[in-house]
Amino acid sequence: MSTILELRNVSKRFGGLRTVKEVSFTMDSGEILFVIGPNGAGKTTVFNLVSGFLHPEEGQILFQGEDITRSAPHVSARKGIGRTFQIVKPLPSLTVQQNVMLGCFMHTGHLHEAEDAASKILDFLQMSHLKDFEARGLPLAALKRLEIARALATKPKLILLDEVVSGLTTSEALALADLLLRLREWGVSVVGGVEHVMQVVMKIADRVVVLDYGAKIAEGKPADVVKDPAVIEAYLGAKYKEMAH
Amino acid sequence: MPRFLTDFIQACMDGLLTGALYALIGMGLALIFGVMRIVNFAHGAFLMVGMYVSWVLFDKFQVNPYIGFLISGLFLFVFGYLVYRALIQPIRDRSDFMQILMTTGIALILVDSVQLKFGADYHQTIIDLTNRPPFSFGAFTLNRAALLSFVIAGVFIVGLQQFVVRSRTGQALRAIAQNREVAPLMGINVTMIQGFSFALGIAMAGLAGGLLLPALYLFPSVGEDYTLKAFVIVVLGGMGSIEGAAIGGLVLGMTESITSAYLGQQWALAVDFILFLLVLSLKPSGIFGRQRA
Amino acid sequence: MTALRGWRIFALLGVTAVFACLPLFLPNDYVLQVFFRIVLFAALGLAWNLVGGYAGQLSLGHVAYFGVGAYGMAMLYAHHVPLWLSVLFSALIATGFAAIIGSIVFRLRGPYFTLSTIAFAEVLRLSVTNLPAAGGAIGLSTPALFPPGAFWKMFYLSAVALAFVSFLVNAWTSRSRFGYYLMAIREDEDTAAAVGIDTANYKLRALMASAFLTALGGGLYGSAFQFIVPDSVLSGEISVQIAIITMLGGAGTLLGPVVGAVLLLAASELFKNKFQESHLLTYGILIVIVVLVLPEGIVGGLKQLFQRKTKPPASVAPLAATPAQGGD
Repeated sequence: MSTILELRNVSKRFGGLRTVKEVSFTMDSGEILFVIGPNGAGKTTVFNLVSGFLHPEEGQILFQGEDITRSAPHVSARKGIGRTFQIVKPLPSLTVQQNVMLGCFMHTGHLHEAEDAASKILDFLQMSHLKDFEARGLPLAALKRLEIARALATKPKLILLDEVVSGLTTSEALALADLLLRLREWGVSVVGGVEHVMQVVMKIADRVVVLDYGAKIAEGKPADVVKDPAVIEAYLGAKYKEMAH
Repeated sequence: MPRFLTDFIQACMDGLLTGALYALIGMGLALIFGVMRIVNFAHGAFLMVGMYVSWVLFDKFQVNPYIGFLISGLFLFVFGYLVYRALIQPIRDRSDFMQILMTTGIALILVDSVQLKFGADYHQTIIDLTNRPPFSFGAFTLNRAALLSFVIAGVFIVGLQQFVVRSRTGQALRAIAQNREVAPLMGINVTMIQGFSFALGIAMAGLAGGLLLPALYLFPSVGEDYTLKAFVIVVLGGMGSIEGAAIGGLVLGMTESITSAYLGQQWALAVDFILFLLVLSLKPSGIFGRQRA
Repeated sequence: MTALRGWRIFALLGVTAVFACLPLFLPNDYVLQVFFRIVLFAALGLAWNLVGGYAGQLSLGHVAYFGVGAYGMAMLYAHHVPLWLSVLFSALIATGFAAIIGSIVFRLRGPYFTLSTIAFAEVLRLSVTNLPAAGGAIGLSTPALFPPGAFWKMFYLSAVALAFVSFLVNAWTSRSRFGYYLMAIREDEDTAAAVGIDTANYKLRALMASAFLTALGGGLYGSAFQFIVPDSVLSGEISVQIAIITMLGGAGTLLGPVVGAVLLLAASELFKNKFQESHLLTYGILIVIVVLVLPEGIVGGLKQLFQRKTKPPASVAPLAATPAQGGD
């Protein structure tokens, strides 16, 4: 298998604080990798760095061997990196189908072709019945899927799913996890990011990268990582701090 | 001292005197726009209202503008609060687009209402101080009225800065600016504080309007240029920084004064806007701004 | 949908034809002039709609392009450029001007764009006012595009033609990838970038098209009134007027700018004496009303009332658990 994404010693500062500290990892195409870590661990920053919404001060990001460290977001998207947002960002006054069509437009300028392509993706995500509704009225579970549908419509090779199951009920999250597994059928590699919901991670992740305070503290198979003392410490430590407040 | 040097220093000093009033105007907007993120396109219109309040006091009751400006400030504080509660607060969470439209609408209403009430005529406010010969030292002269305005403005600039930094209200205000979701949890009445801050920013424009009165011809659309100028000042000083806005005001005053001295007064405003566009395109964080996280 | 579109096109042609025929029945020059203004401002509103409506970028400096159209035509003609070519060239100059402005300000988000549009327009007005070569504050006389005999008839028809072209550009935009991209930018720039849209580039294209049409309008206006001064064709009031016409009618809708222009200018004509003194007050109150109670404008509001149910009814099944497949 070939490497699709590689981060080499990537660091990002905000003000004086480093929110991502010399993070390195690689992932193979076809893999489902989850970046996990307590709130504030730097997951979203990593996603923003990979998708070009932020640029690191140090380090390098390679996508299919190509340096994309300083690519603009739309350039990264065109190279094949799709993404969703942690705080869902639907285009509220457009319908569900129109939202998805925007992704399809990367590959066609024809309205009808985009409509057809969008319908297929909505079928796959089992939300065809919602296609004519405006995005603004949808419940969160549907909005999370809409984010995925829109990203998938650009035919990405890699899809970044930031907090894709947060805020969902367990049954909603598990239903979504089944769909994520099937993303492989579309030839997409997946980087997911989650805070908790380890159930989903255990079920579908091939590999896990754990961040704490912006640094990578563990990496490996989900079953191994959850036994790692450093990981337990990071999560428990965070719990205790939350309780102290 | 060679002539060109004295001319230049004279222009800089004149600019500083005007600049203090600009600083006051800019700090008011920095409070509203920079800290509270309300895009106030009516700032100049409020300033104009402040000028008219002072002028009515002067014209009808012979109140010296250097006293009347305080009443302008007070009046605008109350007026600003009412406008906030009636028109701004309902659209507090809407887009910049809607805020700009709303405040533009408010500006149009204010300007035309004043015009309907007082007519479009120009008024000049002549007081004893403006007629006195300028204060001179060495090769330099300073306009007495401008000097007095400078001193008064200085007091209010320092006062506002200290208030925002030190007072409990100021701290609450900064807490809201940083995180509006968390502020209520800390027992801060967000609506009250925001209304108060908006009113305070408008009051600054009112004070500045009163102080500007002796220096300017008064007419209903006199404030128009000051809206953009206020934004120029805030942008120069770096978004969100009240201290930056004070410095931005001084810089703008000096830029105008130097432009007037060398290119002619008619170009001063154009140079303001060119400066604004240059700063926005080259260094959006402002000349004195830190990079924002 | 296609059947409806065919029907729409016939309706559109019919309405245009009726409008175009009006001058034949209204030989009164004054009334024609009023109609000229209404239709011209409808065209300007439609041009603005590309930027302010579809792309959601609030320009309050469109008078810059309008003014370049008027001044460009007068000055190019004075330098012996053929009459209609000077109209076209000045529109191209305005487009270039928009490209420069756009490439600077579209990298910025939020209120800075609006501020910059005003600043550019003001720099232009102040420069023209202070430059003797452009007539200064005294102004310039403009060449007449049409002979005296059918003067207002021809101007009216030209305005109809411009409005029609602007309408077609809007109609095409609303049904094309270009338009979808602009709407995506309006709704959320991050999402737009995430699906591969070069947001600055698309905003720029919208602004350039808009500036071109606006400048053509400026050329017509300048020629029709035979004399231009900075305070007439470069006044910030025109920018506000164009924006409020579109917002009132419904920004981002096809008919909104037309409805807005008819309402606002007809009202200003009917209540002329009252209106002249306090037209800014009227604009101001209209703006406040639009923002508070009618943010989608008249056409947008009506659409909301009559069109599809936009919210899924509670009965619509939420996302059911996936039938077990794949997985394990």
